[in-house]
Amino acid sequence: MALVTQALLAALERGLNPLLALDPVALPRLAGLTGRVIAVQTRQPALRLYVLPAGDGLHFAAHHEGDIDCTLSAPATRLAELALARDKQRVLHQPDVRLEGDSTLLIELADILQKLELDWQHEVSRWLGPLPAALLGDLARRGQALGEQSRDSLQLTLSNWLNEESRQLVGRLEGEARFAEIDALRLDVDRLDARLARLGTARNTRDNPDE
Amino acid sequence: MSDPRKGPEAESQTHFGYQSVPESQKAYKVAEVFHSVAAKYDVMNDLMSAGIHRLWKRFTIELSGVRRGNRVLDIAGGTGDLTKQFARLVGPTGEVVLADINDSMLRVGRDRLLDEGVASNVRFVQADAEKLPFPDNHFDCITIAFGLRNVTHKDQALASMLRVLKPGGRLLVLEFSKPTNPLVSKAYDAYSFGFLPLMGKLVAGDAESYRYLAESIRMHPDQQTLKAMMEETGFARVTFHNMTGGVVALHRGIKP
Repeated sequence: MALVTQALLAALERGLNPLLALDPVALPRLAGLTGRVIAVQTRQPALRLYVLPAGDGLHFAAHHEGDIDCTLSAPATRLAELALARDKQRVLHQPDVRLEGDSTLLIELADILQKLELDWQHEVSRWLGPLPAALLGDLARRGQALGEQSRDSLQLTLSNWLNEESRQLVGRLEGEARFAEIDALRLDVDRLDARLARLGTARNTRDNPDE
Repeated sequence: MSDPRKGPEAESQTHFGYQSVPESQKAYKVAEVFHSVAAKYDVMNDLMSAGIHRLWKRFTIELSGVRRGNRVLDIAGGTGDLTKQFARLVGPTGEVVLADINDSMLRVGRDRLLDEGVASNVRFVQADAEKLPFPDNHFDCITIAFGLRNVTHKDQALASMLRVLKPGGRLLVLEFSKPTNPLVSKAYDAYSFGFLPLMGKLVAGDAESYRYLAESIRMHPDQQTLKAMMEETGFARVTFHNMTGGVVALHRGIKP
């Protein structure tokens, strides 16, 4: 079992560290955390893992006998969310996430992972040379721009069609106006309610002056 | 000092694989083996173990308990697999000594680590495990991975390691051992004596060295014997972990 765990951790390192190396600033920032240890534990299932940042990436261990700088405890689903979320700080502030020890260490690590900007073109240029890498990079960027533009356009068109053509949904401005009217009505009702209560109290006082 | 008037037959004998050789000859013969395989050592390790030796070493690192600022001795450190990881763990305030009796292995290890930028907290020392050239109570942790079986006087080597360890320090011996399952044992024998020398011949151009490897593993003490040897030397709380069905065992002892 120990070797299976070691194999999984080794595979995790082999998968993650080459990715971290694609970011020009991630490894130097991780080097600043060398020697620090983060324990990550889940209650269901009961698992404990140690993360050791270093200048060549993140190292993982199933067993650690030295001092631990920070312990992160959370349900497994929340940890999975943390691993995948773009806004990791938000996940760290959830009520079922518990941090003990030096939380700035974990926040720093989350920040490094959150701000990853992988330089794929550099990696491609190592294999294919700078010119093909530049051409491929340009092609990929144009494709990405076209994709984003198409997505925005589709979103806008669909929204227009749903609001204006088919009248399936209420438009945003129209919706906001309705909500404003509902808010005003709710305020009026509250005021009326308070006034009725005050009048009721005044009548009781007048009918029973001895009380 | 041995008496030069006496012939080699008068000298105590020890094993070199399945052969019996004079004690003074074993170190030379082992050195010949490692001079021969040094250049292809890493490739052969990966091929022979299908990369599993890296997992055995990872587990050793985890159980070492090495931390920032520690002083670590990696005996028979060879090409520096463990030293590299220890250098990371001890940080700039610690120190790792990579020791090997064989200068070819030491050179390969030193070149490899320097190429990988591991230098500031690592020292390279050519040393005999039986007579370690370090002061008493000097190291927080000592490891010897796949080296003890090549040592002529294992008891002297263990005593030497005990001397240079600090009280509370740990010795970790990672070494081939005896498979716990008879079926695994049979398969392992077939693999060791059939496949290993063939692969040694094809990849490293040296079948004999790899035949010696298989034979020396069979001659090495099994788990319980090595544990008893460590306790007899003076180590406390000696435990061992079998890995890959007992093909390899990691022994750990503490200097009281």
